[in-house]
Amino acid sequence: MKEWKKILTILVAVTFLATLAACGGKPATETKKEGETKQPEKIRIALVLPSTVDDMAWSQSMYEGLKAVQEKLGKDKVEIAVSERLGDAVNAGAAIRQYASQGYDIVIAHGAQYQSVLREIAADFPKTTFAYGTGFQTAPNIFAYDPQAQEGGYLLGILAAKMTKSGIVGIVGPVESGDAIKYNNGFQQGVAAAKPDVKVRIAYTGSFNNIVGAGELAKVHMDAGADILTGSSQQAVGAIRAVAERSGKYWLSTDMDQSSIAPNTVLAAQVYHWEKVVEKMVSLRKQGVLGGQHLMLSFADGTLELKYNPKLADKIPQEAKDAVEKARQQIVSGSLKIELPKEQPKK
Amino acid sequence: MNNQIAKSWFVQVLILLGALAGALLIGAILLILAGSDPIKAYSIMFTGPIGSEFGLTETLVRATPLLLVGLGIVISFRSGILNIGGEGQILMGAITASAVALLLPGWPKVILLPLVLLASCVAGGIWGGIAGWLKARLAVNEILSTVMLNQIALQFYLYLIRGPLIDPQEVAYGTGVPQTAMVPEQVWLTRLVPGMRLHTGFILALILAIVVYIFLWRTTIGYRMRAVGAGPEASRYGGIRVEFYLILAIALAGAFAGLAGAVEVLGVHHRALESLSAGYGFSGIVAALFGRLHPLGTIPAAILLGALILGADMMQRAVNVPAAIVMAIEGLVILFVVSSDLLLRKPELLTRIFTRYISTRIKQTKEAGTGV
Amino acid sequence: MEDVISQGLIVGILATGIRLATPFLLAALGEMFTQRSGVYNLGIEGIMLMGAFMGFFVTWRTGNPYLGILVSLVVGALMGLLMGIVSITFKAEQGISGIGLYMFGWGLSGLLFRLYVGAITAIEGLRPLRIPGLSDIPYIGTIFFSHNWLVYLAYILVPITWIVLYKTTWGLKVRAVGTTPEAADTLGVSVDGIRYQCLILGSMLAGLAGAYLTVGQANMYADYITAGRGFIAVALVYFGRWSPLGILAGSLLFSMADSFQLWVQVLGISVPYELAVILPYVITIVALAVSFGRVWAPAALGRPYERGTRG
Repeated sequence: MKEWKKILTILVAVTFLATLAACGGKPATETKKEGETKQPEKIRIALVLPSTVDDMAWSQSMYEGLKAVQEKLGKDKVEIAVSERLGDAVNAGAAIRQYASQGYDIVIAHGAQYQSVLREIAADFPKTTFAYGTGFQTAPNIFAYDPQAQEGGYLLGILAAKMTKSGIVGIVGPVESGDAIKYNNGFQQGVAAAKPDVKVRIAYTGSFNNIVGAGELAKVHMDAGADILTGSSQQAVGAIRAVAERSGKYWLSTDMDQSSIAPNTVLAAQVYHWEKVVEKMVSLRKQGVLGGQHLMLSFADGTLELKYNPKLADKIPQEAKDAVEKARQQIVSGSLKIELPKEQPKK
Repeated sequence: MNNQIAKSWFVQVLILLGALAGALLIGAILLILAGSDPIKAYSIMFTGPIGSEFGLTETLVRATPLLLVGLGIVISFRSGILNIGGEGQILMGAITASAVALLLPGWPKVILLPLVLLASCVAGGIWGGIAGWLKARLAVNEILSTVMLNQIALQFYLYLIRGPLIDPQEVAYGTGVPQTAMVPEQVWLTRLVPGMRLHTGFILALILAIVVYIFLWRTTIGYRMRAVGAGPEASRYGGIRVEFYLILAIALAGAFAGLAGAVEVLGVHHRALESLSAGYGFSGIVAALFGRLHPLGTIPAAILLGALILGADMMQRAVNVPAAIVMAIEGLVILFVVSSDLLLRKPELLTRIFTRYISTRIKQTKEAGTGV
Repeated sequence: MEDVISQGLIVGILATGIRLATPFLLAALGEMFTQRSGVYNLGIEGIMLMGAFMGFFVTWRTGNPYLGILVSLVVGALMGLLMGIVSITFKAEQGISGIGLYMFGWGLSGLLFRLYVGAITAIEGLRPLRIPGLSDIPYIGTIFFSHNWLVYLAYILVPITWIVLYKTTWGLKVRAVGTTPEAADTLGVSVDGIRYQCLILGSMLAGLAGAYLTVGQANMYADYITAGRGFIAVALVYFGRWSPLGILAGSLLFSMADSFQLWVQVLGISVPYELAVILPYVITIVALAVSFGRVWAPAALGRPYERGTRG
């Protein structure tokens, strides 16, 4: 009894002292607000990320897109702020609300898990634009963006089918959800369309960030005969590095061009052009549209792109490139639509 | 001679502040390495969580699950078992709460809300109880089983929110985001401050802290559990069924963690979604131990820890340093405060160190003075 | 599923399993010494992360993985020293200081990576070391002798640690300090000294386990590369009941189950993949539950030693 009373007193005293100390310093956030009113044309964009700006996948691709926008419009016109490692919606919620109350014009919460928290906060800040993805639910000041990852998956699937010598391609999956389902599904359809007898093997690590595990899964895929591999999420870098160890095995990337870590292994990549999405949001906002749109990233509007690794371009036969290009044009023109199953796959 | 002074609360506050200062000093080196001004950074870290209504309520939003998990840890630790399975138990509680609420959407609040909370306690309790049963009956160490059970719970949880329990709209729109549908509105915990996320779950946690205190110190079961924790062999000779109380202890710890999961769903997110727990299973242990393994001590400890987590996060955003620094500083604070515990328990050591230091200094000056 | 029961599959599963067990084996053997001396270090994960980062960083800068491994050992020792100051000298509650060390290691490794590397980069790590004669034996060669030398070292450490623990005076002191510190103290053994030695040795091996992940397995570094392996290593010490052979059995069981589920997933399954992913965790619990081994633990585990008290 005595002991906890003592501790209680101490903790209360510490809190009290901290409060006293707090009165001394003025929060820096308020000074920022003053600066904002002086330069009204400057647009301020805040970004909340589930992993880090150097994950070489989902988070980094958005961060680089945002930086590209800043580069294009001028550093004095665009101010950006980034908060990383906010995978959980509680801490992300605090970050989003803080950015909104500091007067940021656009707050991008780059993950599907932020949808609920965003809806709640957006109601309190009707003049701020919020955005999140992947998702579809919007509000008057919320944009939802939604990469049609199955389109690039389909094209890379065709490429994989044309390139494989063993007749086996492997997918290193994270958790079967969201973007990964779409990409994997499109990939499987692409392989089946190009060469129905090529086998697609799919396995999951059960995690988004198990880099070593993804590498081991890739090794098992290769030991079991796969010679073209692919996979999404930030753990993919581990798999790419493992594929790079073996000669004659290749990787197909998604999210962003990942060839910098294995220049002789990554054949091609589906690249997300986030800068175009961000630019669109900026210009819509200037026109007075604060949200309410479901922004698709697709090949048709150029927000998705297929990029070959120039270093390995001669390894890909022209016939394969032609087949991919034909399908790409069909997707762009709308004559080919990659449908996703409306039932949740049970595997 | 100096013991009286050393044990006064003033000295104890100084010790705690000293520990905090030590941690922040090393943290300052990291901040300088990262190219930012540590004074500016720390002023935000301390003023952020208490400087506004937003900061205060967000601190308590974090303190709620920390306190709930911490209360469970107090019970289990006092009974001689360390529960590091909190993460798994939180997830089991959260998914059960969502499932029950979604299954019975039309039920009135007075029945549904207690039912949902109870179900989450049962789910967390069973998940914890498995570890207790494995330990008591099959001699499987609880650290091993809870580490493994955390992973199993995580995969089970992910399976449910991407499969059977996924929001049907996510399938219809083809987005496939792993989350359940929104739980019916009548089970949402009331928000206490308009526009803020603080909810009645915090009050529930405060009440439960008192309940746990009464349970451990004023009931026979509580007495026996503490006896088992103090000395299992002696308790066995005293006729206490040690195995039973071990299972009960970790099951109760699991129930509290499960409740924390449910409160997060009903109070904050209103659905079960990916990465629901922000490491509360681990930081709850820290809250309990900072609170001296006392249910009422855990209250201020959970609040301070919540303020630390929030403040460090705000600091990261304000001075724009890599988020990793937040984790490093939190780790340092834990290491320093837990080290200062020795001086808090035995402040006379401080006087001893002090006198020894002074006497050597005197000796040195004397030697220097004589010019030897 | 056409080639499920082929010899190639079995060889594949076994060879993968041998490789996967390495980090667990290294970290768990180290933790075994630490716990034998009466300290339990829940912060292995943080130490592994620092070892993984420094191993990667030095290899990346110098191109020399051996230097990287050496530095990871030093960093492991420093982290062990830190844990020792907190848990032995300041007699802190070990569960909580372990959590503190884990968070500190994760944060610091992430910070250093951002400040001094900045982008995910590949390195040239250790190459497989072929052993003349042995590596050429069909099947056996692929399973056991197609790995890099850190893998061999981890397995060689099993008999070595057994001898050190049971057949040397130092090992005797370690066991005495972990079971009856009062008696050991009376006989003139420095309880805290032995505990420091064990904690530092154990942390060095954890640092090495981390370096194996970056230099021997992934050939790169990214944030939180350990992904929970440090905690599993701690759990495996309990599985192995503080004996090198038990830890070997536990590490192999867990890793073989993991390898098995990877292979089965790749070759095609008709159940939710989550069932496959949890297989190693379930098997480890079940195996320990049905083994009905004697219940034993270092008696003074987790109890800081204070002279003149009965703990």
